[in-house]
Amino acid sequence: MRDTLGSKVVTYGLLAVFVIMVAVPLFWMVTTAIKTNKELYEDFSYFPQRPTLENFVRVIVREKLLTNIRNSFSVSMITTLITVIVSSLAAYSIVRYRYPGREWIGRIILFKYLLPSAMLFVPLYVIVTALGLGNTQQGLILTYLTFTIPFCTWMLMGYFRGMPVELEEQAMVDGCTKIGAMLRILLPLSAPGLVASAIFSFTLAWNEFLLALVITMDQSTMTVPIKLSMMVVGDQYIWGQLMAGAVLASIPVGILYFIGQRFVVQGLAAGAVKS
Amino acid sequence: MITKDHSIAVPRPLGTAVERKRAFWSRHRREVLGGIVLLSPALLILTGLVIYPFVYAIWLSFSDKMVGTVAHFVGLKNFRYVITWPQFTAALYNTGVFTVVAVMCKFVLGMAVALVLNQQIRGRNFFRAFLLLPWVMPAFVVYLVWRWMYDPLQGLLNYAMLDLGLIQQPIAFLSTKETAMPSVIIAHVWRSFPFYAISFLAGMQTIPLELYEAAQVDGSSRWQQFRYITLPSLYHIIGVVVLLTTIWTANAFEPIYLLTGGGPSDATTVYTMLVYVMGMVNLRLGEAAAVSVLFLPLLIGLVLVVTGLLQRRNDNA
Repeated sequence: MRDTLGSKVVTYGLLAVFVIMVAVPLFWMVTTAIKTNKELYEDFSYFPQRPTLENFVRVIVREKLLTNIRNSFSVSMITTLITVIVSSLAAYSIVRYRYPGREWIGRIILFKYLLPSAMLFVPLYVIVTALGLGNTQQGLILTYLTFTIPFCTWMLMGYFRGMPVELEEQAMVDGCTKIGAMLRILLPLSAPGLVASAIFSFTLAWNEFLLALVITMDQSTMTVPIKLSMMVVGDQYIWGQLMAGAVLASIPVGILYFIGQRFVVQGLAAGAVKS
Repeated sequence: MITKDHSIAVPRPLGTAVERKRAFWSRHRREVLGGIVLLSPALLILTGLVIYPFVYAIWLSFSDKMVGTVAHFVGLKNFRYVITWPQFTAALYNTGVFTVVAVMCKFVLGMAVALVLNQQIRGRNFFRAFLLLPWVMPAFVVYLVWRWMYDPLQGLLNYAMLDLGLIQQPIAFLSTKETAMPSVIIAHVWRSFPFYAISFLAGMQTIPLELYEAAQVDGSSRWQQFRYITLPSLYHIIGVVVLLTTIWTANAFEPIYLLTGGGPSDATTVYTMLVYVMGMVNLRLGEAAAVSVLFLPLLIGLVLVVTGLLQRRNDNA
């Protein structure tokens, strides 16, 4: 492509604008977290003068954020575990078995993946409460499965379709059962897809806000997003601690993104851009 | 296959018609049974936690259910009541404005970022990963950070604008009627544009370079190349991404709840916020369900269109 000086200037100029635009809020989150309250509320400065970890200590000791982090972790882990198992079985069934109605099941799964939880949170709240699971982690996990399973099943259906069926057929000729072919051939070969779907389902559960807001009621069950949002209204001078909490809440998904960047970008585009 | 006589060294390759039919049916039955057994956990969850709640929501909207009371059928009463609320009109209007403006901004910004990242620039992989960060961060974290930046007393934006002499006195971005909605939209666009950028970029990278080379030989301008090569190649992706994010944006809850809570005086109340306040704060579940059911036809229409687009793409692949 013709790279004139002018077009180079425009390209790098725009790039600089985009980078600054993305960097400023991130910078502000991190620097707020390591500023002292004096710097935050009295002597304003753009850069932290005396970096400190006291906000992290305070959010952990005074706000007991570790309890909420543990809640978030256990809910997300269990959700992910159930999701990956249930979704890979369902996806294998839809892609490799022949029975009437399976196209419809596939369609309903996609439909649910697209239908946002905002539409369902009122009845889900009533149902979870009626089951006696209001304000429990089990109740929250049940509702999380309503969006992680459709999403991961849909993703794995695409992944399994892309895997050559001949290898499984070969295994079956050699005396493997159909389930055996899945366990010994397809799933090991689909490890990247399974990892991606696990990353997605963990992230979706970790970040979920609305259902957690509706279902969890107190510190013993609250997940991190709800805890932090409750802190906003609690105290005027909370922002140092709040941003420390925000940094802590971002770390797990940041690590997952770093590990699985390749899969995540692929999976991200998989729905929209499939060529 | 049923072979009674095991002494025959070579089994007959083809049995009688009846035998073949029976073998087919037993194999077929095993196939169907196996498929359904594998599917059943997902099916159970889908039925119990998606289809049932979905139907239940519609029933709720025709009932006078409140938290802790038994539901009675009340016909269209909730709907008649809900549509007379000023808040409902406000929510309808705000949801429309929020969705349309945010989707347009995300589209333009996402396209610009994708076009820049599609150039031969140094460290492209780094920049691509970096510009994706707002989308990778948890949404609630993003909106809490923006709420802090919008703070009228100690927020970064007010300080910076006062410093630069752009304003004379601090602006209460989130609690002024005129600035609340734009502020919420800006924060939301900041979080969501990377999805557009990454999808468009992925599409652009599948366009053969020869097309651009040929266009250059013909002396076309950069704008012409964008208009007649890039854009048409992206039509399918643009369609899917725009519709998909329209659904997400129209159902956004976190930006509103975490930034303004719907205020000031319903200036940013979108329909999800209204459902939440009605159902979870006022505990009037019947009316809350009625509000969501009123938005359902539009949503289902959108979802069905995207389902069709994605399904077709997936079947072809």
